[in-house]
Amino acid sequence: MTRLVCPFCGPRELREFVFHKTLPADDNANAYERTYQRVASIALSSEHWQHVEGCRGWLLVQRNPSTGQVFEVRLLGAGAA
Amino acid sequence: MNEALSRTGTRLRPGALSFTFDGRQYTAQPGDSAASALLAHGVRLMGRSVKYRRPRGPLCAGPEEPNALLSVGTAPEVIPNLPAPQVLVRDGLVLRSQNRWPTLKFDLASVLRAGGGFLGAGFYYKTFIWPSWRTYEGIIRRLAGLGEAPGRCELPQGAIEHCSCDVLVAGAGAAGLTAALAAARAGARVVLCEREPRCGGELEFETAQIDGSSALEWIASTLAQLRSLGVRILTHTALVAESCGELIAHAEPGGLPGGNTMYYIRAREFIIAMGAIERPIAFCDNDRPGVMMLGAAERYRAHYGVQIGARLVLFANHERVYSAARRLMAGGMNVRAIVDTRRVHQLSTDEASSRLRESLRSDGVECLAGHAVTAALGRLAVQAARIELLGGSAPHRQIPCDTILISSGWTPAAQAGLQQGGLAQYCAATGAFVAENQPSGRIVTGAAQGLLELTAVLRDGHAAGARAARAVGALGNSGAAPDGRGDPEPAAVTFARAPAPSSAEKRQFVDLQNDVTVADLRTALAEGFRDIEHIKRYTTLGVGTDQGRTGGVLGAQIVAELKGESLAEIGASRSRPPYHPVTMRSIAGFHVGAAVKVARRTPLHDWHSAHRGMLEPMGLWTRPRYYTVHGLSAAAAAVEEARRVRSHGGIADGSTLGKLEIAGPEAAAFLDYLYLTKASTIKVGRSKYMVNLREDGMVLDDGLVLRLAADRFVATTSSSHGTHMLSHFEHYQSTQWSNRALTITDVTEAWAVIAVAGPSSRATLHRVLGGSWSAALDRLKHMEFTDGHFDGGDLRLLRASFSGELAYELHCRPASALMLWEALHTAGLAPYGIDALDILRVEKGYLVSSEINGQTTPLDLGMEALVRLGNPCLGRELLDRAAFQEATRPRLVGLRALDGHGQFLAGAQLTGAESATRPCGHVTSSVFSPTFGEWLGLALVARNLTLEGTILTARDPLRSSHTAVRIVSPVHFDATGARMMA
Repeated sequence: MTRLVCPFCGPRELREFVFHKTLPADDNANAYERTYQRVASIALSSEHWQHVEGCRGWLLVQRNPSTGQVFEVRLLGAGAA
Repeated sequence: MNEALSRTGTRLRPGALSFTFDGRQYTAQPGDSAASALLAHGVRLMGRSVKYRRPRGPLCAGPEEPNALLSVGTAPEVIPNLPAPQVLVRDGLVLRSQNRWPTLKFDLASVLRAGGGFLGAGFYYKTFIWPSWRTYEGIIRRLAGLGEAPGRCELPQGAIEHCSCDVLVAGAGAAGLTAALAAARAGARVVLCEREPRCGGELEFETAQIDGSSALEWIASTLAQLRSLGVRILTHTALVAESCGELIAHAEPGGLPGGNTMYYIRAREFIIAMGAIERPIAFCDNDRPGVMMLGAAERYRAHYGVQIGARLVLFANHERVYSAARRLMAGGMNVRAIVDTRRVHQLSTDEASSRLRESLRSDGVECLAGHAVTAALGRLAVQAARIELLGGSAPHRQIPCDTILISSGWTPAAQAGLQQGGLAQYCAATGAFVAENQPSGRIVTGAAQGLLELTAVLRDGHAAGARAARAVGALGNSGAAPDGRGDPEPAAVTFARAPAPSSAEKRQFVDLQNDVTVADLRTALAEGFRDIEHIKRYTTLGVGTDQGRTGGVLGAQIVAELKGESLAEIGASRSRPPYHPVTMRSIAGFHVGAAVKVARRTPLHDWHSAHRGMLEPMGLWTRPRYYTVHGLSAAAAAVEEARRVRSHGGIADGSTLGKLEIAGPEAAAFLDYLYLTKASTIKVGRSKYMVNLREDGMVLDDGLVLRLAADRFVATTSSSHGTHMLSHFEHYQSTQWSNRALTITDVTEAWAVIAVAGPSSRATLHRVLGGSWSAALDRLKHMEFTDGHFDGGDLRLLRASFSGELAYELHCRPASALMLWEALHTAGLAPYGIDALDILRVEKGYLVSSEINGQTTPLDLGMEALVRLGNPCLGRELLDRAAFQEATRPRLVGLRALDGHGQFLAGAQLTGAESATRPCGHVTSSVFSPTFGEWLGLALVARNLTLEGTILTARDPLRSSHTAVRIVSPVHFDATGARMMA
């Protein structure tokens, strides 16, 4: 992974973005599981990032952490509708 | 003054430079490296080895040099460990040898160590264990280390350049030049970087014909074509790493740090054409000055015109040694013998090779097949080579010589190809490893890919360039691959070390920079280190500044031999970036001092500095800790400021507070979700102290929330948390609260804040703000605010207190801040800094980041009542976890010294009656209180010990104090709040 393609700003250097968290694989996880029992996946990781030095948009990034391949980047919330 | 040896056929420009080496003056020609200039003067002894202090001379002619490391400059501004072949001589350059005392020729430590024998692998771990390592550490450290760290060194600022291209070619030898040309002809934008000052690589000395011209003519014409095609050529620029998809190259003009450039190059295709490094052979005393790589001698001859010695013995395992001998002889050197480890039947039998050998013989060169040099004789310089027939019992013989040139093949410079998923693959042609499994966008070519014969190298380089061009969509005609013929295939037969009795193995050097010998490798294996990466770390094989470029694969070959396995099974240790030493100064570039980060200044910054405010960085902000008073210490100045606020009043700059404006029909509900208590119950015109939780229930931040209108709030955050809290708010706006009617605006810098605190604050404000504000001042109750205008500017008057005194905050536009501040100052209110604010808030039990430290819940901080209100906010759910209710959870308490005057400091550990060694908490804040005349503190203590009156000990072993303290309420001062409500 070398750049992220921000849906709003286009391809930008990774240093413009800040990683926030990895989402649990299980959508039904309760608060405790979400917070304390996250399982890292090496094949598919869904993450929240913010384009802090750009549009400040919050992004859902889906990628393979072992290869760095990015499957999808989309805006969270309103922009994604 | 030495007389320069005559040079023949140098390519250097004429001219004379002068430099000193160990205090003696020498001359050089422009373009000389420190190594070539010293060699031209017959100086071979250039340093001592790091461990055994053995005399050493240069082994190589490039940055892979392990031995001849020099210090450049005069104390204290000395730059150590620069490889002599890399340092370009400038007029007046001051060079010193390293690791010797008192002189290079006579080193005392080497005499001491000769008496004590050799220090094998793990020597330090095994020897200095009684009574403890500390006993010896000082002495050992003085003798250890490579060179000497500079006492002071301020290198000039370097540059950082970001650039992009279609194709980046690293290495401008035969393969790199061809690849760059093919890519550029096809229409790609090409950058070519070469770590040496010149392009051409081995073509500089190889006997070659390319497209009908000599190698040198071909280099010149290729470079001219590249330039005309717009190719950017960066010389003396080594590719050192890659990060985040950018290739990082480091330009070190002159081989000296200072004023360097770091290139961050984004290339769509990356061609690795970094060549190969010639491999040495281990034999007894193979580290003597005068033992040198064959290719290095050729380079010194061809480029610098330096005759490396008068009588040479060449020792190799391949066919190229014969062509090299012929060229060295043409350069005026006398080759006494060529010792080839291959048996007669293993020699190339083609006509050209046979004829070459025959002609060398007829010129008096002794060609010995199936022989090996088993030892170099002589101490400060080689005097003879001991030669033995391999596998026979014939007696050894000595050939007098002053130079032994060695070569056992070439190790592909695969380091850059072994990143990003590249895998090392054994390559029989080189007896070493090449990089396979390259990710897309990356091609390894030429000698780096194990090709050692020029015809194949040129074809492969051309194909690589054409392929890279196609990959980036440059579809022009790449032209034909150059047709060239150079030295024959090496036809090497693996040979790593000469046979030796085990007693001599400790003098067969493998890694010259770290003095690792064959005996060390044997010891490591005997002691159970099996993996090459473990052996590397135990013996220090290849951990030097040269990263084992010469000795790494040789070591792996010898390990393979000792274990009876193949090199393919052993593998080679992996190079880590940077592949080439880079000074921290180059990495920092212009990001030093004030330019490291953004500076945020309050509108009152200049006033603070003009009034002797002791300014200190806090996050990105700069704030006054206190205002210097002549004759008062820093602590006393702050105490005096705090005393004045309590007795009279004062003003403080609070502009750094984060301020977020939340607006919209759903703003109140949004804030209800983000704060532990409800914002929707705040009346318009009032504010409330509120805390945020993280998802895990810990307190994240605290601040006041002001309700400007039914649908409009301003939330203040702590100064250092402002940007983080903005992200936090935006995150929930984008997730749980997406598509809801609310906006978030950072108004931190739109409002300056002046805190006005103390019993006289109201009266002073009456005088300063005047008539129209009088009613508001009389009417406002604690936590109420009102908006209006003053002197034409917006003014928000908020009655709130962070000191426990009657206090107000003036929120105004930055442009009016100075006028208001000066008016208040003139009206008799003195400024106070954050140290005084700290005293005031500890007296009152108010919290800052020492207590809201990311590990405390609202229950820990005494906010049960707020939790019980049951607002279903973010983080609320996890507050009910059993772990948060345990008796060992911390709880906020106040502390005072038992004797009423003892001192205890923040960070001290607290212990109870049951154990003097297991802490039950720690002091989070402590101040000397002018109000009480004693030390007061806040602490987090295990819940079961927090009964008021409990006696604990504050232990502070690093600052050597133990103080008996007793637990009191965290609100030391004015528990009823009468003063602030006044």
